Amino acid sequence: MSDVPDPKAPPNPEPGSGPDPNSAPEPGSSPGQPDETAADNKAGSWGAALLTTFTTVFLAELGDKTQLAALLLAAQSGRPAIVFVGASLALISSSLVGVLLGRWLAKVLPPQQLERLAGLLMVGLGLWLGRQAVLNLAPLPDGLPLG
Amino acid sequence: MDLALLTSTYATVFLAELGDKTQLAIVTISGTSPRPLAVFLGSSLALVLASLLGAAAGGSLSTVIPTNSLQLAASLGFLIIGIRLIVRSGPIKGSGEPTDL
Repeated sequence: MSDVPDPKAPPNPEPGSGPDPNSAPEPGSSPGQPDETAADNKAGSWGAALLTTFTTVFLAELGDKTQLAALLLAAQSGRPAIVFVGASLALISSSLVGVLLGRWLAKVLPPQQLERLAGLLMVGLGLWLGRQAVLNLAPLPDGLPLG
Repeated sequence: MDLALLTSTYATVFLAELGDKTQLAIVTISGTSPRPLAVFLGSSLALVLASLLGAAAGGSLSTVIPTNSLQLAASLGFLIIGIRLIVRSGPIKGSGEPTDL
């Protein structure tokens, strides 16, 4: 066996790097979704969804208790690479759980109701995050029963 | 590879993340977006990058990044997304709507 790459190999070995409808029998994707055919003019919205999710989750995750746990483990063990791999695998798993849960909810709930619930949840999360950040930026004086 | 450290990190972080606000946000975005793969990739990248920053900083992340200001920006983003979703879902019909926020 040699290390020379096979010249007959397809030039696009990465799955999902191109919208090829013939060679994409993803087991998880539901068949009969019409937006598979309109992949070209929706490429922008794919990137937008990626960017929105990335920004939202990244900003929300900074200073989170998971990060604190990872920091603690990294500091205790003195082996940050292993801590990083373990934490990354766990976070990817948890984001997969979240995405699957969201898709399941989208199946069982009518879209309007789901959007309203999601909106209320987002507003609640925003208020809670904002309160936390404001309290950290400008701590209340002692004695106030709000902490 | 230190397998014990790897699995203990995995278990700690996974359990800490279950039901966390970040995961709730992912559920929300995934439920209302027709692009679950993009949501999965985006959230995974964000979480891995955040944990890379955490592991690299080793305890002094708030001296490198203004985490509180960024979280304030994140909360504004959450509010905007949430209000947009509520507006998009239309007027509230009936009276059985849970409004206990």
